[in-house]
Amino acid sequence: MVLAPQEAARRIRSGQGSEPIQVAGRLDLSEFPGSQLPAGLHCYELDARGAKLTSLPADLRVDGRLVLDNCLHLECLPKGLTAGSISLRNCPALTALPENLDTWFLDLAGCTQFVDWPARGNIHNGALVLRHCVRLQALPPWIGRLSQLDLAGCVGLREIPDGLSVTSWVDVGGTGITRLPPSLCGAPLRWRGVRVNERIAFHPEELTARETLAETNAEVRRVMMERMGYLKFAQEAQARLLDEDRDRGGTRQLLRIELQADEPLVGLACFCPSTGRQYFLRVPPKMNTCHQAAAWMAGFDDPALYHPEIET
Amino acid sequence: MKRNLIYMDAKSSKFWNIEQSGNTFTVTYGRTGTDGQSQIKSFADEAVATKEAAKLIKEKLGKGYVNAAPSAPASAPANGAAGDATDEPIPLVAFSSINRREDIGENIGTFVGQRVVDYDADKPVKADVCYRFRSDWETNEVIPNLEAYFETDAALTATALVLGAWHGDDSEKTSAEVVATLVKGRDRLPRLAAIFMGDITSEENEMSWIKQSDLSPLLAAFPRLQLLRARGGDGLALTVPQHAHLRALALETGGMDVSVLRSVCTSDFPNLEYLELWLGTDQYGANYSVADLQPILSGRLFPKLKYLGLRNCQLADEVAAVVVNSPLLQRLETLDLSLGVLTDEGARALLLLPLNTTLKKLNLHYNYLSADLVRQLKALPLVVDASKPSDMDVNDEWRFVAVGE
Repeated sequence: MVLAPQEAARRIRSGQGSEPIQVAGRLDLSEFPGSQLPAGLHCYELDARGAKLTSLPADLRVDGRLVLDNCLHLECLPKGLTAGSISLRNCPALTALPENLDTWFLDLAGCTQFVDWPARGNIHNGALVLRHCVRLQALPPWIGRLSQLDLAGCVGLREIPDGLSVTSWVDVGGTGITRLPPSLCGAPLRWRGVRVNERIAFHPEELTARETLAETNAEVRRVMMERMGYLKFAQEAQARLLDEDRDRGGTRQLLRIELQADEPLVGLACFCPSTGRQYFLRVPPKMNTCHQAAAWMAGFDDPALYHPEIET
Repeated sequence: MKRNLIYMDAKSSKFWNIEQSGNTFTVTYGRTGTDGQSQIKSFADEAVATKEAAKLIKEKLGKGYVNAAPSAPASAPANGAAGDATDEPIPLVAFSSINRREDIGENIGTFVGQRVVDYDADKPVKADVCYRFRSDWETNEVIPNLEAYFETDAALTATALVLGAWHGDDSEKTSAEVVATLVKGRDRLPRLAAIFMGDITSEENEMSWIKQSDLSPLLAAFPRLQLLRARGGDGLALTVPQHAHLRALALETGGMDVSVLRSVCTSDFPNLEYLELWLGTDQYGANYSVADLQPILSGRLFPKLKYLGLRNCQLADEVAAVVVNSPLLQRLETLDLSLGVLTDEGARALLLLPLNTTLKKLNLHYNYLSADLVRQLKALPLVVDASKPSDMDVNDEWRFVAVGE
């Protein structure tokens, strides 16, 4: 039976009837408390964000948007799931996508356990967002031409398969990817949303403090510092020494570098007492002493109250 | 060799014909419905004449002229017997209205090729013009004027109507009453083929302040409607989006609510050839994402679509990146991403447009493109309009759609 969106939502929420339901508009089942939707559901748009669903019925049909953001218990999706766009942001129980998934837009941002692609599927034409899919190790070979590919924060990804192409940009921020495949040659790059060139993304060892300081775009400059590493940057940029003392790791220095059109970079350069490695830990620019900076990192606004037994 | 071209927009409706014979050609041009004026030019030989003629034709096409339909008389038949032979199709080009950003500052002078005249209750009513009904601060006679017009014989043959500002001194007044009045007068408007609901300039009321209403009663009341154009997104709705013959839908907004987009995406307009959506910016109520356009771009709606305009769009770059992957490009003639925030990023995507399709024209008027990208786009085998208003600053840090408030 064809129902208006509100009536359909009311029936489903109250668990009435078992007839197949067709909805011409947007079915709002956000925060739906049940673990399952009824069978025979067909709608233009389904919004079930925040629902307690663990899976979806095998015969669910959604023509336009399917929104399942923040479905914390969602574990699996039906085979052949097809929709114009599918949003699965922050579904931490989801580990795999179903066979023959078919969509233009797929957003899996924050699906921290997602790891398994199906052997076959059809994701093409729109944007594929995989932000912070930290367990993801690889992309499948069957992804079609996309508009955008957002891989920022996919720390386990080391390469993009050849054959994948985009009409706009690829975001590789924080991934282990070191080069683009031939099919993406020349594609515009982003690093966590900031437009960067191939050198910044893939050859940070070539970057110098001089060119980083000369970069006028503050966002790009921040990415360049991050890519160089703050310690190397601070050393090369001839930072001003604000304070120096000793802790268990050895000499500790508070360093400051002026940046144009941005707040100064101030950080504590210190050695780890157990590994001997040196670190640069950024702190607010108003810090004056190493002790004050260390106290701030430990959550103390008043450094006088900070007397650690041990710092690690 | 003979070519007949026409041009129509919110200000004018004109023709330009060229006929070559040997080393001479004759150019005839003027306002639609007149004989126009002619010029004859002679050249050294036929080859030179052919080359010069081709140059002029290319120039005209670049300015927005299109081929005239093979047998399209300029005006509607004078005889208005309802239920007679099939309606004269309005030429596709006549569905356009705002071609340049500055057009929004003026009331239209023509609508679907007909001259627009403000209705004046004290003057005799004519049959060969399109009447505009509107109020100003002092007088709000829209409803009584419409009702008076319905009583005339001219209404029986009218094919187009324009509704201007309807709010008078009450800025909260929606278009609902005007819609209801038109629906009530349906039997007196048996030939109505084109409605513009909201020919309102920014001086009269900013686009995002115009109070619209559900316009679908108009679809139900006028079965011969070919074009529905509306301006203003606030309150705009198409709750029953179906019409067997509608050929053109144009919704101009400063910010489109996703519910309107959803209505378009679930509509039943099997004969739609022209779809113009002004998507706007979130500053003025837009709350869609590009994924909400997927049902349109998927190509499963509107099998006859020839023109797609996704205009005045804050997300023009993202739209461009998806549009180039759309199966719709296999049947569109014109893709219009004008009046939005299109930058080099979106333009680079447009360079990937599939060629050897039906696509002929790319309208990118008002854009943030660099000269280099404009040059690359113009090298595509398409008519590309990448013009900018003279006051645009491409390097400005802030980038706006053409019409927000």
